[in-house]
Amino acid sequence: MALSGRAALVAALGVVVVLIAPQPGPALAGVCLLLAAGVLVDLLFAGAVRPLRFHRSGDTLIRLGQTATLQIVVENPGRRRVRGELRDAWPPSAGAVPRSQPVDVPPGERRRYTVTLAPARRGDRESVAVAVRSRGPLGLASRQGTHRAPWSVRVLPPFLSRKHLPSRLARLRELEGQHPALVRGQGTEFDSLREYVVGDDVRSIDWRATARRHDVVVRTWRPERDRRVLIVLDTGRTSAGRVGVAPIPLAGAVPRRGLLTPSIPGQSRPGAVSRTQDEALPAPGWPRLDWSMDAALLLAALAARAGDRVDFLAYDRAVRAWVSGASRTELLPALVNVMAPIEAELIEADAAGMVAAVLSRARHRCLVVLLTDLNAAALDEGLMPVLPQLSSRHLVLVAGVSDPLVAAMAARKGTAEQVYDAAAAERAMADRRRITARLRRHGVEVVDAAPDEIAPALADAYLALKAAGRL
Amino acid sequence: MSDLLAPQRQPGDTTAPQQPSTAVSATPRTLWRAARAPLAVALLLVVVAAATVLLGGQGRPGRYLDPDDGSLAGGRALAALLRAHGVTVDRVDSADRAAALASGDRLLLVTDAFPLTPSEVGRLADLPGDLLIVGDTGYLHVLAPEVRANRERVRERSREPRCDLPGAQAAGSAHIGGLTFSGPRGAVGCYPADDKPTLLRYASGGRTVTVVGSSGFMTNQRLDEDGNAALALNLLRGKQAVTWLVRPAPEEGESQDDETLAGPEGKSFHELMPDNVGWGVWMALIALLLTILWRGRRLGPVVAERLPVVVRAAETVEGRGRLYRARRARGTAAEALRAGALDRIVPRLGLTADAGPDAVVSAIAVRTGQDPRQIGAALYGPPPADDAGLVGLAGYLDFLEKGIQ
Repeated sequence: MALSGRAALVAALGVVVVLIAPQPGPALAGVCLLLAAGVLVDLLFAGAVRPLRFHRSGDTLIRLGQTATLQIVVENPGRRRVRGELRDAWPPSAGAVPRSQPVDVPPGERRRYTVTLAPARRGDRESVAVAVRSRGPLGLASRQGTHRAPWSVRVLPPFLSRKHLPSRLARLRELEGQHPALVRGQGTEFDSLREYVVGDDVRSIDWRATARRHDVVVRTWRPERDRRVLIVLDTGRTSAGRVGVAPIPLAGAVPRRGLLTPSIPGQSRPGAVSRTQDEALPAPGWPRLDWSMDAALLLAALAARAGDRVDFLAYDRAVRAWVSGASRTELLPALVNVMAPIEAELIEADAAGMVAAVLSRARHRCLVVLLTDLNAAALDEGLMPVLPQLSSRHLVLVAGVSDPLVAAMAARKGTAEQVYDAAAAERAMADRRRITARLRRHGVEVVDAAPDEIAPALADAYLALKAAGRL
Repeated sequence: MSDLLAPQRQPGDTTAPQQPSTAVSATPRTLWRAARAPLAVALLLVVVAAATVLLGGQGRPGRYLDPDDGSLAGGRALAALLRAHGVTVDRVDSADRAAALASGDRLLLVTDAFPLTPSEVGRLADLPGDLLIVGDTGYLHVLAPEVRANRERVRERSREPRCDLPGAQAAGSAHIGGLTFSGPRGAVGCYPADDKPTLLRYASGGRTVTVVGSSGFMTNQRLDEDGNAALALNLLRGKQAVTWLVRPAPEEGESQDDETLAGPEGKSFHELMPDNVGWGVWMALIALLLTILWRGRRLGPVVAERLPVVVRAAETVEGRGRLYRARRARGTAAEALRAGALDRIVPRLGLTADAGPDAVVSAIAVRTGQDPRQIGAALYGPPPADDAGLVGLAGYLDFLEKGIQ
């Protein structure tokens, strides 16, 4: 049961009655009895909420940034009209609107109500409960009941970088058909023979064919299809750091001012104060993981179009997701589906385990695209010792999302405090350059780009490898 | 392309949620099942408490220093002793009755158990006969204007008399403390704490006034310790009779506070207020309770959610910057800035990374036209001496970098 504001109001009026009554004691008893009788009547004559049945329909899959519309059909098999309020209880980040809405279902009938979700982050959102409050005829008290009517909505990664796909596909077509390559590489296959023109590489002259015809003939090659691409997503702690500006604000992404700029008493920090004044605290942006997913989706879409087989592995200390052997049309839906619930785990990624998982899954030579952070300390201890195992059998490409905030810090040198920050940023960038150089020395391709450039940069790196026949 | 990218509905996604809804709120039966154990425990507690009160005799609290009270805090033992020594003990509970009994051959005992009002104090001060004031009554300046109580209180403990007062000397040590006094000329002070007496006797206007710092030694609990009984007896039996002021017994339905708040017509605040107000307050409390129940009832459960951590990736870099700042690590900071600038400048000059400082400096000097010595000091010199130097160095490095685009 639940009391209404009206009951409290009646009691408040009762105070006046008691104050002016000639016999206050009996007056108080009378008011209370009246109120109790009213509440009892309301509880007896309110429509029953326990027998209500709920039927749901609506969206189950949406992309982050879209809204899901859900219908709840309330069926009232009871004998009395159910009139009151209904709340579909979703987690806060599901952004369910309205929070509660009026319901009015006559006996034996059904009514449809709509709830709109505007989720603020990826993942599966589940309705916890549906609660109904059924008011009595006097409006003093209500019957209230909670029902479990399960429904879950999977919020997929938004794949914002798909805007880069048409231009990259055009480049791919250029590579594939119209411009056959004259360079022979590992990832090329024989395309055709044609007459030699001045400027062609003499090494590509096919002497046997030249001997048959009375003309110099060269072989042309084209990028081989059906190569394998394995995208490995690092879901360890380094992927949790937030960078850039979130295109779709995540839940809880707005920083609390007091939390990020703790004031230390007794220590004057004019620099810190001016910093917060002239540069309002940057919103924490998206986790590296989400930017990496975006890049992975663009690469997967591109590679699938290029005729390559794309597999996907998400790993920190265990396999979080594994997609293999998906057909061209099913690949992207399958990828976004497994990516949706992945969150960065706050543990150190196990690079040795990751390499073992990759080696056990990829029996043939393939392009291993490792999406991680180019964090010198983490890579030194994790990936570098085991990298040779991987790079000896596969072509490895490491892609890391850089932090534009660090670059901004390095560029700002107005005051002494800012110069100290700039020095720290320079140091971080130098570490990054060092680890990048070391990776390249191991024969590993490295893509290091800002959050909103990582997806096209990775796609370009893939296209460059493809054009060079290195796949 | 849009069909390729559109999320396709998986067969498992749509069938799973189509389960019937089930009611999960508590039924009266489950409510009763959940509540019966706590209810039983509560009922048991109430029964035990009631039984203890009913079987344990009167639960009346002791009335402090009442000659009729036999509890630890009472004063019945002392009254009995006095009567055994032939002293009449008259228990009075108001200043009026004390005044009616007053005579020269009588001792008036005022203890801190008696709540005094200013008008009563004035009447008591003018009464004939000896006066014994025990404990902190709060009106010492009216009752015994010659005595001044010191501000600091001393601990109640066993003290030696150290004075010529026969009664005190005969009694010996006593459990005494509380207030200390400074008295008029000719006053006898006993039981000193830090040379300030806690018992003071002096003659004023033909009567003897005695003030004692604490009253604990007169209670039934303390009377048989030390020389407490002897001291109390000696202080009280100087005259034929003792008028013992006690706290008036609270009347039915009337609290002690209303008594003290009584106005000039003898009617308390409570008596002047119409009954309606009291009942109205009760009704207001009920209204408040209903409001709490109304606002406190949630529609459905609280939904908790496991949110991802919000941590900016740049926080480690900012933290390192603050460490540099806090330690004024100019050397480290300058080194980092120089290394960063060199990493960018050297490739632009067409030099390899292992080019020596001299080669780099001369190449930069050629490109920018700056003094080689200044360039050398900026790139390879000692760390700056102060923060201004560091800012200058950073600016100069930026300038060099811009010059070699």
